[in-house]
Amino acid sequence: MSASDDKSGDIMSIPGAEDQIDPATFEQILEMDDDDAEREFSKSIVYDFFGQADTTFKKMDKELEKKEDKYLKELSELGHFLKGSSATLGLTKVKDSCEKIQHYGQLKDDSGTKDITEEQAQEKLGTIIKQAKTEFKEVKEILKEFYKDDDA
Amino acid sequence: MDSNQGGGGGSNNSSDFVRKLYKMLENPSDESVVRWGNDGDSFVVLENEKFTKHILPKHFKHSNFASFVRQLNKYDFHKVRHSNEENGQSPYGPGAWEFKHPDFKMNNKDALDNIRRKAPAPRKPNQSNTEEFAPSQQMDMVSGQLMATQAQLHQLEGRYNELSIHHSMLLQEVIGLQKTVVNHEHVMQQIMTFLHGVDATQRRNSKLIFPNGAQAQNGSVEAPVQTADDDNPASPLQHASKLLSETNADAMLNPRNLEHMNEITMRMNGTLTTPPPDFARASVRPTSRGPPSATSTGSVRLDNLDNLVYPVGSSNGIDPMYSEHINNIPYAAPPKAVEASEPKFLEGRKKSAFPDPGWIRPPQILLVEDDPTCRRIGSKFLYAFHCSIDSALDGLEAVNKMNNGSKYDLVLMDIIMPNLDGVSACHLIRQFDTTPIVAMTSNIRSDDISMYFQHGMSIICLFASSALICLGMNDVLPKPFTKEGLLHMLEKHLVHLKKPLAQTDGMPAPQPVPIARQLVLKEEDSPAKSPQATSNWNSPSQMPGVSPVGTTVPDEFAQAMRGQPVQHPSPYGVNPMQNNMGYSTSPHMQMQAPQPPQQTPGHPAHRRQVSEISGGDDLNNPAKRQQMYAPQMQQQMGPMQPRPR
Repeated sequence: MSASDDKSGDIMSIPGAEDQIDPATFEQILEMDDDDAEREFSKSIVYDFFGQADTTFKKMDKELEKKEDKYLKELSELGHFLKGSSATLGLTKVKDSCEKIQHYGQLKDDSGTKDITEEQAQEKLGTIIKQAKTEFKEVKEILKEFYKDDDA
Repeated sequence: MDSNQGGGGGSNNSSDFVRKLYKMLENPSDESVVRWGNDGDSFVVLENEKFTKHILPKHFKHSNFASFVRQLNKYDFHKVRHSNEENGQSPYGPGAWEFKHPDFKMNNKDALDNIRRKAPAPRKPNQSNTEEFAPSQQMDMVSGQLMATQAQLHQLEGRYNELSIHHSMLLQEVIGLQKTVVNHEHVMQQIMTFLHGVDATQRRNSKLIFPNGAQAQNGSVEAPVQTADDDNPASPLQHASKLLSETNADAMLNPRNLEHMNEITMRMNGTLTTPPPDFARASVRPTSRGPPSATSTGSVRLDNLDNLVYPVGSSNGIDPMYSEHINNIPYAAPPKAVEASEPKFLEGRKKSAFPDPGWIRPPQILLVEDDPTCRRIGSKFLYAFHCSIDSALDGLEAVNKMNNGSKYDLVLMDIIMPNLDGVSACHLIRQFDTTPIVAMTSNIRSDDISMYFQHGMSIICLFASSALICLGMNDVLPKPFTKEGLLHMLEKHLVHLKKPLAQTDGMPAPQPVPIARQLVLKEEDSPAKSPQATSNWNSPSQMPGVSPVGTTVPDEFAQAMRGQPVQHPSPYGVNPMQNNMGYSTSPHMQMQAPQPPQQTPGHPAHRRQVSEISGGDDLNNPAKRQQMYAPQMQQQMGPMQPRPR
């Protein structure tokens, strides 16, 4: 327990972590680790999420590029999908951006309140997906550092 | 006659004829006419004529020697010929007939059993042959047919299931549509009621019929409406509301039929899958009982509607992302206080280990979630709470699993999923199963309301959580879920699997348990622990709508409340939630119950509750009144406008 607290102190002390990660949510996943040194469970979850996010971002790019039928709906769903997992991990910034992707895909503004045009949505989507990717990269670095992954 | 005798003998071990023959030979008085042969392995008819005349009738009821001989032949007796010996003379005399059968012997009665009537040549052998073949050949054929029939049956069953699923889907759609229509009616009525209230107050103020104090006591809107009715029946408002109530009544007729149909399908499917009987009863009762009270009179309905309005909106500080906030919905503590308490809460979580919830057996949980991250974390949490977990990747898989007879104690269902979303899956599962389903969603947000709208939900279910409950979900677990939120759901819906309290206390790991309980108490109605909940646990929220609140209010009101979740989700949009999410209202109540003096000295807790619901003091408190109506109005009139966030 105390080890877990120490560890959780660790991640929040990494620069930028405070912006990116909701400590409470992330810590309750860390709590699930059987071994505080190995962090096998949380690490595999987090790394699976990396893969998932990469795939999702690629799909987003493709959708935005092709602009095929229902691409906005697709983008919205992709945004929702990534929102769910990032929220579960407590990756707040990525989550917020994904939520915006979801909104824009529905032709709504940031908060999902007002209607926007398709052109606006396209523009906003382009920006926000880039932003989400950046945020994802940042938080990925933080997490990699936390898991002491030298490949970073 | 002969053959009858002979044939009839077949039923015994030895034939009648043979036994009679044997018996005939045992009679010493007839020895001169018929007797055993010298070697005892044959018998001899010495005097043909006497034998025919006297002995045959005595034993065989006829007097026809030829017939007798024929009969003997049938039983494979053979006449012994002595033609070669002694010049064709029989040792017994010239006219003697000697008959022989290998098994017909003087002192061997048992061997008689072996003497069988020769089968009429071609028939009998054939029969025995087919009998031998029958097992293999016919069985093959029969089993083949059986297989074919089974396959056919299976096909039909599949088709039936498919059709019934389609049917229920269509039914749900239609019901949803009708509900929307009805809800619109209700919105109109609510607006009318409000306008009536305003109108009446204004008129009365101007007339000064009553002193202000009396008015304030009569705070419920019904009273002004009635007086207005007396005073001013021609008011355009009155007229409009009458029109409304008429059309509304019309609209109400149809859903009833459909609900009934739906109920029948549910019951039918229910009997097939044998759900817990107590729920079957519970589910039937409210639907059949609910409607009359809900529709009976306009005034009752209006009254109820009014009672059910409570403040909703962003100003309440209800952030759907936080499960803690849901508890604050009905009668929210000041939002600031909530925010303040949160950090403490989080700190508590940090320290707390995973308490053993103390199940009598591991609850079977079905986790329906398309996102691998959420699924893994959810599974891990559930595992930590000593549950056994099955998971489904989407709604379709979940429906299939449950349709194939997998039994679960609780289903945790994501909402937005590929193939079949959680709402539709819940619809389908509800057709044949009553397992509690908890929606997991991060979408208690305005942006997703349009989706619920597609499902026939009115937007007045502003809180998607209440919308979900309207749709057959038992509860909502906001995502990203917390350990505590999850544990609470488990404890709330699986009370029947909890060990008795004493035992739980005696569990090892005494430290985590008190922490958990403290949290739970702080947060909600700690199902297993509070006395109220334990008395309640027989119908543990399987039937949404029966909450402790309902039991404290007048019966009619309670009935209406029960009927509503099934009937018309939305004008009461907020109401089913208030009602179903027992924990959302009950913390106040249950906290009050044990310690009433703290909160309302001199008043029984439930009195206060009722008066709060009915908004009795709203005239005394203009600010509150405004809060009661303003957000509601806004939602109704501009439903597509989501809450600012």
